[in-house]
Amino acid sequence: MNFKKILTIYRKELLDLFRDRRTVISSFVLPIVLYPLLMIVFSSLVSRQEAKLENQQQVAYLIDEIHNENSERIIRELKTTKNLQLVAADSISIPEKLLKENTIQAIITLRDSVGKSGYPTVLSKIYYNKADEKSSFADKKIFKQLQKIKDILVQERLQELKIDEELLKTIDIGEENVAPPEKMMGFALGKFLPYLLIILTIGGAGVIASDLVAGEKERGTLETILVSAARRNELVIGKYLTIITISLITVILNLFSMYLSFHYIMSQANIQFSDFRLPLANFALIFFLMIPLVTFFSAIFLSISTYSRNIKEAQSYQMPVLFGGIMLSMVSFLPAFELNFGFALIPVVNFSLLMRDIMLGDFQILYLAEVVVSMIILDIIAIFVSIKLFNNESVLFRTAEDKSLKFWGKNKKNVFSQQFVIMFFVFVLLILFYVGGSWQNINLMKGLVKTEILIILLPTIAVLKISKSDVKRVLRIHYTSPLNFLLVLLMALPVFVLAVLSMQVINLIYPIPESYIEAINKLVQSENIGIWKNILIVAVLPGICEEVMFRGYIINGFGKLGFWKAIIITAFLFGLLHLDPFRMIPVTFLGIWLGYLLLKTNSIFVPIFAHILNNSIAIASGKIIDKIPILNNFVSDGNFPFWTGIPAIVLLVIFLHIFNKINQSNEGVV
Amino acid sequence: MIEVKHLTKSFEQKNGEPLLAVNDLSFTADKGEIVVLLGVNGAGKTTTMRMLSTVLKPSNGTATVEGYDIIGEPQKVRANLGFLSGDTGLYNRLTTRELITFFGKLYDVDDETIKKRIQEMADFLDMNDFLDKKIDLLSTGMKQKVSIVRSIIHDPPVMIFDEPTAGLDILTARNIVSFIHKCKDDGKCVLFSTHIMREAEKIADRIIMIHEGKLLAEGTWEDFRMQTNLQDLDDIFVNFVNQTKEREQNYEFQENPDDL
Ligand SMILES: Nc1ncnc2c1ncn2[C@@H]1O[C@H](COP(=O)(O)OP(=O)(O)OP(=O)(O)O)[C@@H](O)[C@H]1O
Ligand SMILES: [Mg+2]
Repeated sequence: MNFKKILTIYRKELLDLFRDRRTVISSFVLPIVLYPLLMIVFSSLVSRQEAKLENQQQVAYLIDEIHNENSERIIRELKTTKNLQLVAADSISIPEKLLKENTIQAIITLRDSVGKSGYPTVLSKIYYNKADEKSSFADKKIFKQLQKIKDILVQERLQELKIDEELLKTIDIGEENVAPPEKMMGFALGKFLPYLLIILTIGGAGVIASDLVAGEKERGTLETILVSAARRNELVIGKYLTIITISLITVILNLFSMYLSFHYIMSQANIQFSDFRLPLANFALIFFLMIPLVTFFSAIFLSISTYSRNIKEAQSYQMPVLFGGIMLSMVSFLPAFELNFGFALIPVVNFSLLMRDIMLGDFQILYLAEVVVSMIILDIIAIFVSIKLFNNESVLFRTAEDKSLKFWGKNKKNVFSQQFVIMFFVFVLLILFYVGGSWQNINLMKGLVKTEILIILLPTIAVLKISKSDVKRVLRIHYTSPLNFLLVLLMALPVFVLAVLSMQVINLIYPIPESYIEAINKLVQSENIGIWKNILIVAVLPGICEEVMFRGYIINGFGKLGFWKAIIITAFLFGLLHLDPFRMIPVTFLGIWLGYLLLKTNSIFVPIFAHILNNSIAIASGKIIDKIPILNNFVSDGNFPFWTGIPAIVLLVIFLHIFNKINQSNEGVV
Repeated sequence: MIEVKHLTKSFEQKNGEPLLAVNDLSFTADKGEIVVLLGVNGAGKTTTMRMLSTVLKPSNGTATVEGYDIIGEPQKVRANLGFLSGDTGLYNRLTTRELITFFGKLYDVDDETIKKRIQEMADFLDMNDFLDKKIDLLSTGMKQKVSIVRSIIHDPPVMIFDEPTAGLDILTARNIVSFIHKCKDDGKCVLFSTHIMREAEKIADRIIMIHEGKLLAEGTWEDFRMQTNLQDLDDIFVNFVNQTKEREQNYEFQENPDDL
């Protein structure tokens, strides 16, 4: 790599972009103009509205049920209220209707009452309509006025009795907020600033990135640059730096413009700005932190742009990333989420939470370091993906594809194309989410049975039947040596131990909520239906149906990618289907194990057997551990001690060795 | 000089079957020589040239440019090669001078030389008027002139032209043709592709006819006329296509004698 060339490319890209009206507007003009404009419009609207309400006449009906000197005195004082027209009324029914229709703004009633010690008291009540701004305003005004009258009357009464007013002041209660102004401001800003910044960064980087590669493809300049002496890596890095630069400029402009706009708003509202100083030092730290985030998104968008054929396509592929980023960034709004070891590893979430802590002024250096390090690792991965894509000619010269979504192609091979398989998967996933979920809510066990058979098994069989595929061959309904079943049986225990251990490790990083574990336990060990029925519904049925769908059908869609890729992608989809973030990782591991068994033995019966075994052990373990005292020594709170992993691995390796020997001939058959 | 050895390129088609865009193609082009790659639409001309310019990787076989292997040393190949096609785009938001300077720098040409060459070429191609205009504002012919200068800014010993006159009027096309002759006179090796027989006849020292990715015939027009006893260029081409077809059918017949 030649840094001079990278610099040449970088300079040219910047020059090119600075001359692009679209970029200049979205990256520079918009942030500078938008906030002040929004703020000015907003504040002028608010103040105009208030002024309007103050100058407007409000009408209040007054129902005086007392008619004595006292009440007339009150009415006289009420009449002096500014911009309030009082109309005398007799009963409440008609005024109340008028109030609900927003014709009048308030009703005041004065009733007679006698206090415990015999002094006359006036009971006054204000009726108002909270759904109407004018009415609320009138209510406040009248309330204040009545308070004033009350104070005067109290004073008079006391004077009559010759009591000093001071006597009443037994406690003088005052309040003072001890939170420093920075912290309050930080609290408010910390909630929405991460959100705003992330959106701005993502949006900014997206516009630039789509122009840089997909735009070049669209304008036909990509080939020109590829035949030049620049290396592809130099091109990628040059473009990457360009996206980062412009995004960071956008971030700075946004922060700056926001800051000034706040300043303006506060001075308008007559708030002493010095009392509400924005924590500037923290802004600097945030800007520093923005760098790994910006570089991460830049790399992702650069990859998307490289993959896309034109700007429009790039922008539509960016959408899911954008939405994902926005959703994740919203965690800063949720008070229950605190930065911890696990969250610090999740991009965007980690940033959002960390930034909130920074704005509040108390963050932990350890987490900050973890966020930065994990983001840098992700960055490196993302940029390597970009470079790899850029070096892949079939990506760079992707030809026009048939864009129409043909669900049923004429060619029966089509149902084994990646596109079709993924579409089928998404279809099943959606049905499962919308229909299966509600079935299971009504009755868990019946719902499970219906889900497995109607949503998972039947559509799979239907696809294979309609496409007239050779079901036996596709599903690999083949004879296999009984020895394989024996080996799977022997391996089941070490596999289960390893699965539980890995679950425990995951649990350390992302603690699973108690309520969730309870729900799962209920599913696994429903007392009332008996263990055999339970095993039938939770182990045997899913074992068959899910294996037919995933190891039977879906894995064929990825066969072209090779042994491991096919297994892993299928397993990943298998994990997704469980619609459960906490089980995602262990289920994916299970899927890898099942896929491995399938491709090694070339018989679906083996993964079915292993799947059933796995689920059965899960059901049984909860019940058996309690009943066999020896096991209790090993297991505390359902956790295995970590040393059990060692014999498990040793056993697994030995059995796997034998297993691979038996099934040698099937290596790589996809 | 270019040496193409058993160059093959297959693309994966939508139906999963491979398409042999270039099929076991071998030929050479020497310095001071204009070699024309002649073939109908889809014959594989662009694909061959893209492999030579290292934009695409060959599926099989290889080629050398000035002795550098296109697979092993793509960097060196590109540094020794100028590529010009009818539809390579230019950065519209830059001016002519900025664009050419940019490419010059990528080829490690020093600033002085870049300036000097721009001036030389601007005089030769009559482009002083628009050196500092944005490319966006130029006409197609002007843009093609910019492309020419871009492709030769590093004074490469090998020039590749992929249908450079497509869509241009006669005057501009002539500009290009005279530029190509200049390249030859400067001792460069020139590879030129076209599907227009006449254009090939005018410019070629030697012709490589390709069809469906395969070499059809190689030689000068005189050679071809002698071989086929035909005068008209189009007839000669069709004749070669038919000959190959027959040969292939015979071959198939020998392979599967039961078919008939
Ligand atoms: N990136 C690609 N992916 C798939 N097929 C391609 C790709 N590029 C070219 N082809 C196919 O390869 C064959 C040869 O194309 P090529 O562009 O080399 O022909 P050509 O001789 O340049 O034709 P033309 O005179 O039309 O420019 C065509 O059938 C084309 O469809
Ligand atoms: Mg072509």
